[in-house]
Amino acid sequence: MFQNRAEALALALPAAIFAALVFIVPVLLLLSEGFKVAEQWTLSAFVDFFSQPLNRTVFLRTLKLGAMVTLVAAVIGYATAYAIVSLPAGAKGRMIGLVVLPLMISPVARTYAWIVILGRTGIVNQALMAIGLTDEPIRILFTETAVFIGLLQLFLPLMVISLISALENLPRDAVPAARVLGANWFQVFWKVILPLTREGLVVGGTLVFTGSMTAYITPAILGGSKVLMLETLLYQQVTVANNFVSASVIAFILIIMSVAANILLKRIATARNRT
Amino acid sequence: MKKLLYLSAAAVVLAAGSAQAQDKTLTISVYAFAQDEFKEILYDPFEAKCGCKLVVETGNSVERLAKMEANKENPVVDMAVVSMTDALSAARTGLTDKIDTSKLTNFDKLYDIAKDPNGDGMSVGYTFYATSIAYRTDKMKIESWADLLKDDVVSHVAFPNVTTNQGPPALYMLGKALGSDKPDLKAAIEAVGEKKDEIVTFYVKSSQLVQLMQQEEIWAAPIGRFSWAPFTKLDLPIAWATPKEGQTGGMNVMVVTKGSKNQDLAHEFMDFWLSTEIQTKLADALVDSPANSEVKVSDEVANNITYGQETAQSLKLIPSDVALDNRDAWLSEWNAEVGQ
Repeated sequence: MFQNRAEALALALPAAIFAALVFIVPVLLLLSEGFKVAEQWTLSAFVDFFSQPLNRTVFLRTLKLGAMVTLVAAVIGYATAYAIVSLPAGAKGRMIGLVVLPLMISPVARTYAWIVILGRTGIVNQALMAIGLTDEPIRILFTETAVFIGLLQLFLPLMVISLISALENLPRDAVPAARVLGANWFQVFWKVILPLTREGLVVGGTLVFTGSMTAYITPAILGGSKVLMLETLLYQQVTVANNFVSASVIAFILIIMSVAANILLKRIATARNRT
Repeated sequence: MKKLLYLSAAAVVLAAGSAQAQDKTLTISVYAFAQDEFKEILYDPFEAKCGCKLVVETGNSVERLAKMEANKENPVVDMAVVSMTDALSAARTGLTDKIDTSKLTNFDKLYDIAKDPNGDGMSVGYTFYATSIAYRTDKMKIESWADLLKDDVVSHVAFPNVTTNQGPPALYMLGKALGSDKPDLKAAIEAVGEKKDEIVTFYVKSSQLVQLMQQEEIWAAPIGRFSWAPFTKLDLPIAWATPKEGQTGGMNVMVVTKGSKNQDLAHEFMDFWLSTEIQTKLADALVDSPANSEVKVSDEVANNITYGQETAQSLKLIPSDVALDNRDAWLSEWNAEVGQ
């Protein structure tokens, strides 16, 4: 398309300079705080961070919730996306609209709605009591379960949309062909659908995992300080303890975990492809 | 050469002109709350009175203090309002100057606790609030701060997080009720830690509590008086407790920046803010409880703010040096006992 590389690079230059100046340089400056203690380059801030039991608990909880939300979103996402892709064009458009709709509502409003739904007198507890599963309201709010539900609802649309576009590129006769050749549904999914839609899974998985780990409002409102996550801990370090070194360490960990999740998901996807 | 002379003369004139214009500008740093009311009641009338321009910077106290620290050599802000504790912290780091109370005609009208809250002459209180327990009278009786941790009550309690303004005062009173008066709050934090699974939540924003109370998620919570009004509008039997250990609370104060070139104007503004007229208007609008003892308000207003000589005298505030010297220890103790 271009006469030479230089021409292409020249076109990309303004955007590159902009990104470098207002994004990359400030982020690097911010992160460098975590590696500098008393003007010395060192990893001691990281050692300090992980030496505290609370920080380890929060780190593992964030990782666990992120992984669980991603896994469940993938399972529900595949089923939903497959059902939507199989619909006729008009209905498909309407269903995609419904999937996207929650994204247009502020996460704050959506999260507050969960307080009503998951509360002692909320619809979930009323239903549980009506069918006799429990005598008195169970506590869901301000637990890991509440944060899990909130995050899943928040990020599921991103997974569904990624998978819909991936499934649309799946050759129409691939699934029937596999069925005719005697594969059961599990084999169809594992050997045909998953390898052919791995790009969508990687994109959706990265978005959901990164989003779950870096979400602030949902864990803050549905979990509170009883269910601290890395992001709420970061906020606490900045606004209360005024500890920017520790905050930089957390920010660095969050970035590394996001990149690692992306690499890992790509690995998993390509590994399946080789078999 | 002549040209150069003209130029430098012009520069001098310009510089003088801008310096003069600067004399007539006062930059203040305040909490980002109720700014519409403040503009109408305080800022606009003051601008009209002094013939000067008021520049208002807002934000939470951590960012505002960080900014003052960064501009220490060349202060931008002339006066700021912060919490009592933050005022002591700013005084210790040399960010503020002594307040010249002889320039404050309304100083003598202030309640005693507001006159010199930190005892260092570096700040003057302009509003204070009580902290006690809002609770459902049909579900429980609160006679002591320790009642919050009773078995039949604790699973319906929201307790303030240690990171909020209400956290340390509530823990301080709980400690008193448990028989410990130590500034490390250890006894209280341990007692809360033991019940952490039963306590509904450790809240960060008091605005959330109204919804939790309405949904019957909680029956009681320690709160600041400034967030009391919405509870009285719920169709539920909710009362403001008067525990036998007393009520606690907090105070916000005014400070003058060290090296500010507008200290006279800053004092004029502070005096205006402390005047009976302005303090009455701010109280009537339920913005700030008055620190001026001459302010008279209706019973309805009084019920929604922290008001009166008796209340002012009964407040057991945590001394600023105790709060400042123990803040980090409280947080790590809390994180170890409650946070996990």
